[in-house]
Amino acid sequence: MFYFPTIKLKKNSEPIVFIHGTGMDHSVWTLPVRYFSRKKRDVLSIDLPGHGKSSGKLISSISGFSDQVFQLLDNNSIKKCSIVGHSMGSLIALEMASSQPHRIKAMSLIGTAFPMQVNDQLLQFAKSDVQKAIDILTFMGYSNQARIGRNKNPGMWMTESTRRLMQRSNKGVIYNDLLACSNFKGGLEKAKKVTAKVQLILGSNDFLTPTRKAVDLIDSFKNPDVKEIVNSGHTLMVEDPNKVLDYLIEAL
Amino acid sequence: MKKPKDLKPSTLSLHAGQRPDSDFGARATPIYQSSSFVFPDTETAAGIFNVERAGHVYSRITNPTNAVLEERISALEGGIGAITTASGQAALVLAITTILEKGSHLIASKSLYGGSHNLLEYTLPRFGIDTTFVDLRKTNDIKKNIKKNTKLIFGETLGNPGLDVLNIPKVSKIAHDNNIPLLVDSTFTTPYLMQPLSLGADLIFHSATKFLSGHGVVIGGLLVDGGKFDWGSSAKFKTLTEPYEGFHDMNFVDEYGPAAYINRARKEGARDFGACMSPHTAFLVLQGIETLSLRMERHIQNTRSIVDFLDSHQSVKSVCYPELDNHPDHKLAKDILPKGCGAVFTFQLEGNKETGKKFIEQLNLFSHLANVGDAKSLVIHPASTTHHRMSNDALKKAGITESTIRLSVGIEDCDDLIEDLDEALTYSTRK
Repeated sequence: MFYFPTIKLKKNSEPIVFIHGTGMDHSVWTLPVRYFSRKKRDVLSIDLPGHGKSSGKLISSISGFSDQVFQLLDNNSIKKCSIVGHSMGSLIALEMASSQPHRIKAMSLIGTAFPMQVNDQLLQFAKSDVQKAIDILTFMGYSNQARIGRNKNPGMWMTESTRRLMQRSNKGVIYNDLLACSNFKGGLEKAKKVTAKVQLILGSNDFLTPTRKAVDLIDSFKNPDVKEIVNSGHTLMVEDPNKVLDYLIEAL
Repeated sequence: MKKPKDLKPSTLSLHAGQRPDSDFGARATPIYQSSSFVFPDTETAAGIFNVERAGHVYSRITNPTNAVLEERISALEGGIGAITTASGQAALVLAITTILEKGSHLIASKSLYGGSHNLLEYTLPRFGIDTTFVDLRKTNDIKKNIKKNTKLIFGETLGNPGLDVLNIPKVSKIAHDNNIPLLVDSTFTTPYLMQPLSLGADLIFHSATKFLSGHGVVIGGLLVDGGKFDWGSSAKFKTLTEPYEGFHDMNFVDEYGPAAYINRARKEGARDFGACMSPHTAFLVLQGIETLSLRMERHIQNTRSIVDFLDSHQSVKSVCYPELDNHPDHKLAKDILPKGCGAVFTFQLEGNKETGKKFIEQLNLFSHLANVGDAKSLVIHPASTTHHRMSNDALKKAGITESTIRLSVGIEDCDDLIEDLDEALTYSTRK
């Protein structure tokens, strides 16, 4: 499995593991990865199997993805870590923190909800007309304001950047990931098993995982720290990168 | 579930990249005429310098007013990001030097703006970058001239001044089959007439001085990255795939994925070459873009009428405009430029150099100057001005003769323009 930066991990390292969402790759975490690296923290920003630079077969379940991330940690003799997950990545993080709670120190879930049920028609598009699915995900992935622009990262047009990243994904990836999100069960029970320090970062204008759909999940964690970014949509790391980083610094 | 509808170009022309100012609610884009920006604390300063936080440092590299323009042109072109530059020429230099270095080669159209031709023919070879000029209509010539070190193919959407229509789907296919990106100069067409990225181009640059502004009061350029080209698919583009010592070993493909190119262009080219656009210029270009669709509609309407007028005039030998049946790219133009073939075209007068001189000097509304794309109508004699440094052979290849006249049709009342042309034609060809 590819991860960035390609550093040799220190012995007894307790890295921060960043897990991307549907059809994405490690490049969505460039800014926080650079921060934590500068602060001499070990960081693993991974490309899930079949995504980005990672080869290997696609995995069709959140628990399967979770197993793969643990395997990567085992291969590097990592006993403990903190995790950050966005969207589908947040479900993988939840699965990891509930299945092996002793290994997760802190967890930040960005743009999350449970259930993360995907509209049947969107799933159908992802299977038969992936460009249409990408267009819908891009459109709904941003707040109304962000679709007009004014990126905090100067000169970059947000929606098209996201569209391009998804267009790079291999055949079947978008459908696979959306289905994995939809099929993820028992999220609330899993949340109750988590012993790590938990943070949720949510966008008030998120159309894909609206804040109201995170309420039950929030209630299932013990003392979660909930941060809402006003006016942000689902792609919080693009829409408000500095606030996301500030919150991650607090959590990790 | 319906497919969501993205905002239309006329709406993007007015809104993309800008929201009302958060401090005072200004509806227009404020001009942030400031060389630099205050950091709230030392830690934030370190964060912005290390590109772990978004923000502005110094206006040579980014500026909030310029950023609005960069987002706006990206939105209109369907690109992922853009960089404003001091001129169109600076945008071309930035486009090339971001991925080419000493020992690199590019293929360019033989029908280029004189300034672009000068850069490629005379200046870049001094820095070890060589160009082969070919007729991009001849696909075998392109293929034949691709070398191991060829890293770019470059043409104009509408060649200057013969209006060769660049067959972007065909040329980009050849380019991509050889892991080479296609760069186009889209100055003559603007995103109103054509979106080259959707046809297969990878990079676009504009002289924003022309139609995008329309008012003829600024010099500026724009470089747009489509974000589609896979820079990591070969070992050709070392500036993007290998650690860059000049930015603490940043590997642009690893860190930015689809945005590798535009990030390298900003972090190296904008930083080191320093050919930046002033915020005031960016503001003026934005004012122009707000009315782009309205102006272009009128430019095209007037051009079509004038082309018809000249084409049937007894003192005109020929008119070169792709919408005419006799233009070699007529069919292609119908396919990829259905809204019009721009407002700049050439025609040949009956007569000689002297006739051309008399014609230009007799015009009243058409201004004789070295520019195109102004809201006001313009005229020039390419052989003695814009293309005068080209050899006779190169001029011939570009379709320029002593009696070639180039017009840039403005948005005045068309009856007045035709009358002006008619009078000048009558006077200049009087025996």
